[in-house]
Amino acid sequence: MEYIIKNGIVYDPTNKIEGEKKDVMFKNGKIVDNVSSDAKVLDATDKLVMAAGVDPHSHIAGPKLVVGRLYRPEDSRRGVKPKTATTRAESGFSIPSCPATGYRYSRMGYGTVVEAAMPPLEAKHTHEEIVAIPNIDIPALALFGNNWFTLEYAKDNNVEDLAAFISKWLKITRGYGVKIVNPGGSEAWGWGMNVHGLDDPVPYWDVTSREVIHTLAEANESLGLPHSIHLHPNDLGHPGNYETTVGSMDLIKDISKNSPVRDQTVHMTHIQYHSYAGTNWRDFESGAEDISKFINKNDYVTCDVGQITLDETTTMTADAPMEFDLHQLNGLKWANKDIELETSSGIVPFIYSGRNSVHSVQWAIGLEMFLMVNNPWQIMLTTDNPNAGPFIRYPKVISWLMSNKRRTEMIEHGEVHKAVGRKSSLATLDREYDFDEIATISRAAPARAYGFTDRGHLGVDARADIAVYDIKPNEIDPSNEYETIECAFGNAALTVKDGQIIVQDGEIVSTKESQTIWANVQGIEERENEVMKKVMPVFDKYYTIKFENYLVHDHYIHNPIEVNIQAGK
Amino acid sequence: MKTITFNQKKTSPIALEFDELIPDTIYNWEKSDFDKYMVPIGNSKFSLSNYFDVEVGGEAESPAEVKMILNGDLGRVKYIGNKMSDGQVIANSSVDLHCGAEMSGGSILVNGDAESYAGREMTGGELEIKGNVKEFCGASYIGDWRGMTAGMITIHGNAGKQLGECLTGGEIHVKGNCDILPGIHMNKGLIQIDGDVTRWPGGQMQNGDIVINGTLSRFLEGFNQEEVVIDPTIAGKSFSGKYIKFTGDIARNGKGTIWLAANKNRHLL
Ligand SMILES: [Zn+2]
Ligand SMILES: [Zn+2]
Repeated sequence: MEYIIKNGIVYDPTNKIEGEKKDVMFKNGKIVDNVSSDAKVLDATDKLVMAAGVDPHSHIAGPKLVVGRLYRPEDSRRGVKPKTATTRAESGFSIPSCPATGYRYSRMGYGTVVEAAMPPLEAKHTHEEIVAIPNIDIPALALFGNNWFTLEYAKDNNVEDLAAFISKWLKITRGYGVKIVNPGGSEAWGWGMNVHGLDDPVPYWDVTSREVIHTLAEANESLGLPHSIHLHPNDLGHPGNYETTVGSMDLIKDISKNSPVRDQTVHMTHIQYHSYAGTNWRDFESGAEDISKFINKNDYVTCDVGQITLDETTTMTADAPMEFDLHQLNGLKWANKDIELETSSGIVPFIYSGRNSVHSVQWAIGLEMFLMVNNPWQIMLTTDNPNAGPFIRYPKVISWLMSNKRRTEMIEHGEVHKAVGRKSSLATLDREYDFDEIATISRAAPARAYGFTDRGHLGVDARADIAVYDIKPNEIDPSNEYETIECAFGNAALTVKDGQIIVQDGEIVSTKESQTIWANVQGIEERENEVMKKVMPVFDKYYTIKFENYLVHDHYIHNPIEVNIQAGK
Repeated sequence: MKTITFNQKKTSPIALEFDELIPDTIYNWEKSDFDKYMVPIGNSKFSLSNYFDVEVGGEAESPAEVKMILNGDLGRVKYIGNKMSDGQVIANSSVDLHCGAEMSGGSILVNGDAESYAGREMTGGELEIKGNVKEFCGASYIGDWRGMTAGMITIHGNAGKQLGECLTGGEIHVKGNCDILPGIHMNKGLIQIDGDVTRWPGGQMQNGDIVINGTLSRFLEGFNQEEVVIDPTIAGKSFSGKYIKFTGDIARNGKGTIWLAANKNRHLL
């Protein structure tokens, strides 16, 4: 089937198309440069056209979600929508049901979402849930930062074996890249402890976070993976943590990039939570200036924000000691789990409120980061869903970025606490994003950071992943019409995934099976076998399950998109 | 004033769900609107007129001017007065689950017993039950930590387990006896029980007051005995007689108070 989306105003930063009136054509699931006269015409006259969105960091599949749904039935009572002829019933607000997750991303015009934290031991479960989520392609990042084998290799600075271990473990788990969460800290939590800063030795391991991050980055580049290391640094949410954050970025500076498909050697995630100055919650203030200065000077860093949306949400992370602190702080219920040899995790509900000074300053810090990082290719739109807010709030965040007027209103009308004025510089920033920058932070830059050459843009041969929004970029004034902006980005006029029309006028009109994207490194199989000879006795001794039950077998992966990489090339 | 009377024609073994039939939605309905209304039962909808004959008299400009009267056996009618914000509902029989749940205003009178979750998470208004209530009256729903936040529940009979669980405001008055764990996880508000309590009031309570005028058989460990107070004023209400004051639950650094009528509870001293 051939289609032509006619006369839209196209923003495609990857191909340097900035608001051109242009037809977008697709055939057999791919973008093409011409179609026959039989092509079905989809009229988009003067409407906003972009590639489908790419979410670089979201928690949507895996055991944390299931535990979250089990212990927060009160969240499932929100967002209930009955089934239709096309869709299954939806439920949940911050931890929606699997079908709801797919439908809601599609309604916002998204096509790809990265699951940001897959414990290898729970990889099977993660993939089962990916299968249950319709419409979006989902790569999953495997957790390596507290893995016992990683700690051992990092201690010995054994980059070569660590690289082979990663390569093997991505095959075993069908993972896409290397995720690091509170390196050393989640392991320390097994002893009721944490690590602080980069040079605090991990209990019983004689290795530091600095060594873990550096060795993993070296191994990542030696393999030439399509994504860089993806780092949730130490000290999340602690006043004064911006120094650890700067240190974490700085320690990567000597690593040379070994991939043509991306620009960065480290991706810093939910940077908002890591940009805090002060020494306690009373003198807590923004450290966004130092962080953004560093990023502006160093193009080897990309980040996503983790914008606070001021909602009641559910926090969930492999940073289990942080979750315990959070539970102590807000007194709400707490779930905690140890994943043997690999990581830990915790879940706590959280109510972010504009009446609370700390939450309001956190809100401001996220926006400061968006507005103070100059190059939109280095900063990406996320809420660390659901930690800082549910992903369905992206349209609202977009409206804040495009409207200084709205931000000023929120500060002046008391929708956020007046501490925002004293403890952040947000009120002084009048930058407003344009549509090109929005397209960059929500699709082009995330695709580039993950080395996805087949999506995030509208060039010929790209997947026909397309979003049309019911706003006229040449007529609208986003600064004043921020409500229209929010509504349009939340209800795509058209969402196309692999050439299939999924959404029309904000409603799901068809569904398709999601696909798992994983990185298959080739060329070091012998080295992997050597490493496995040393790994297996340890595995057999310490894991409570057999290796045969640990592997993710083919039948867990319904529709893989295998990205083949020649190691080191 | 508009009086809307539901006279039952037949009962259903599966519960009818009445959450749409509240003054907020029906204040401007005519008889014909009721006759064509499809009521949810299980996973389907059926004509309301199979089950109730509805009489409409008078006029209403707003929900406040509605008096809704339900006659018959309402033992399988759920969500009576659920989420109502104004008006008056009178149920002349025992009612099924979730009566007055999440109501924010107006009043409900039940001339009978109420099943579980009566007045669950209500945020205002008055709920009066002439008979007994089952479990979780005025409580939060499973998982949530915010129960009833405001308003008044009066129970003339006995109350079931976990009355006022996670109570976050408002007042519950039980004139009869109460089963285990009243005021568990309570954060704020007042629970007054005139009869006896089986055991364990106020487990994990953070704040608020529980007054027990009857006999309490067993206490939880997390409460400290304080002084005896004569004719105390509790949450703005005057009580007469001697009360032994306990504070807790220390398991949660709680600042809650349990007041026991001294003459009925000497065995706990
Ligand atoms: Zn994280
Ligand atoms: Zn995250």
